[in-house]
Amino acid sequence: MTSMVESATQVRDTAGLMAALEAVLFTLNRPVTVLELQEILQSTLPDIEAAAVTLSQALSGRGLFLQRHQDQLQLVTDPAQADVVRRVLRPEYPSRLSPAAYETLAIIAYRQPLTRARIEEVRGVNCEGVLESLEEKGLIEETGRLDAPGTPRLFGTTMKFLQILGLSSLDELPPPPQSASTTS
Amino acid sequence: MTGGKSRHPDLATELERDPVYLVRTAAFDGPIELLVTLAQRAEVDLGAIPLASLTDDYLRAIEQERPPLDRLAAFLVIGARLVQLKAAALMPEAQMGEEEDLQAWEEAIKGRLEEYKRFKALAESLMRRHASGRFTFAGLLEPDVIPQARVQVSLDALASAFQQVLDRLPPPGPVTVEMEQVSLADKLEELRQMLGHQPQMNFTAVFRHARTRLEAVVTFLALLELIRIGEARVAQVSAFGEISVHRQEKNDQA
Repeated sequence: MTSMVESATQVRDTAGLMAALEAVLFTLNRPVTVLELQEILQSTLPDIEAAAVTLSQALSGRGLFLQRHQDQLQLVTDPAQADVVRRVLRPEYPSRLSPAAYETLAIIAYRQPLTRARIEEVRGVNCEGVLESLEEKGLIEETGRLDAPGTPRLFGTTMKFLQILGLSSLDELPPPPQSASTTS
Repeated sequence: MTGGKSRHPDLATELERDPVYLVRTAAFDGPIELLVTLAQRAEVDLGAIPLASLTDDYLRAIEQERPPLDRLAAFLVIGARLVQLKAAALMPEAQMGEEEDLQAWEEAIKGRLEEYKRFKALAESLMRRHASGRFTFAGLLEPDVIPQARVQVSLDALASAFQQVLDRLPPPGPVTVEMEQVSLADKLEELRQMLGHQPQMNFTAVFRHARTRLEAVVTFLALLELIRIGEARVAQVSAFGEISVHRQEKNDQA
């Protein structure tokens, strides 16, 4: 235990930063980028990353859950509590999608970011309609443009995608397919 | 599933709106899907597709399902390739160049089929995971969320109470063609006024002015809208008891 004076001036340790991170995510109640967090918490990227890992571990077995998508963090309810939360909220979540939609989501989830042409190459059919409806449901989004003729849109999954699957991050997806033949 | 437009007009419209769905319901998931399905049906691995039976199945499928022209055209490309492959296999003395082309094409198509199969399996695991309902939720009430406090009635109870209202109305008489003007906006205003005079009323009382099914339906929609925007809530004190409708102050989120 350090003295009061010392601890006040000391750079916050991971536990302290974790608590601050938790408080900020709780009050903002939306996906927050690590860049924003650096500013809010007056901290460095590696420290915030470490605090996020600690927070995620600390929440294990609790009602809350730390979700991470790319550079965004969000505090949400634990997937194990979905039933009780639903009883309180009646949220309108997309309940069931078409097989085509799940296929398209799977391809995007594992290969993101990628273009519509690439998705269609895998599925062998036109995917315009499916992509439109997935985007409308907020499960995928444009993440940028490919630096190629026509600068086609690049698609990626969203935080909401993690939310309907109850995943803490994309790393929790089943192991990716070993691509035998594919190039990018 | 024949997908005949005359028989399923609604479905046909739905299908036209979403071409991929069309592919599914017509049992044609596009060329790759067709190959996979047919290959699986013949119980062979993709390394040794029996082309003769495959093309037979393919032709039969076209005969029976009659896919739309653009799908048909897409299949034709694959079909022609399959026949080309078969022909090459039957004539081992075919020109080397072509042989190599075919070999390369066969490799490529096999690779794509394998890749597609892997994603199909992954898609199924995503679907199962989604169906398990283990969602995560953010804390804030999103705009598309109606707080439980406003709907203290099971949706079934609400629906059956409304059905009773409808049942009480006279059955549709002889058809008189007459454009009925019942607007949701009018009904919303009417309901607001009713609740203004009487902050709490029985569910059936809400419909006391409704003379036709259309009017009752629009009134019901207006009630649902008031619940959604937070100006009313419905409650049922006991199981099978009368449902009551309450006025709710708009800023009262509870």
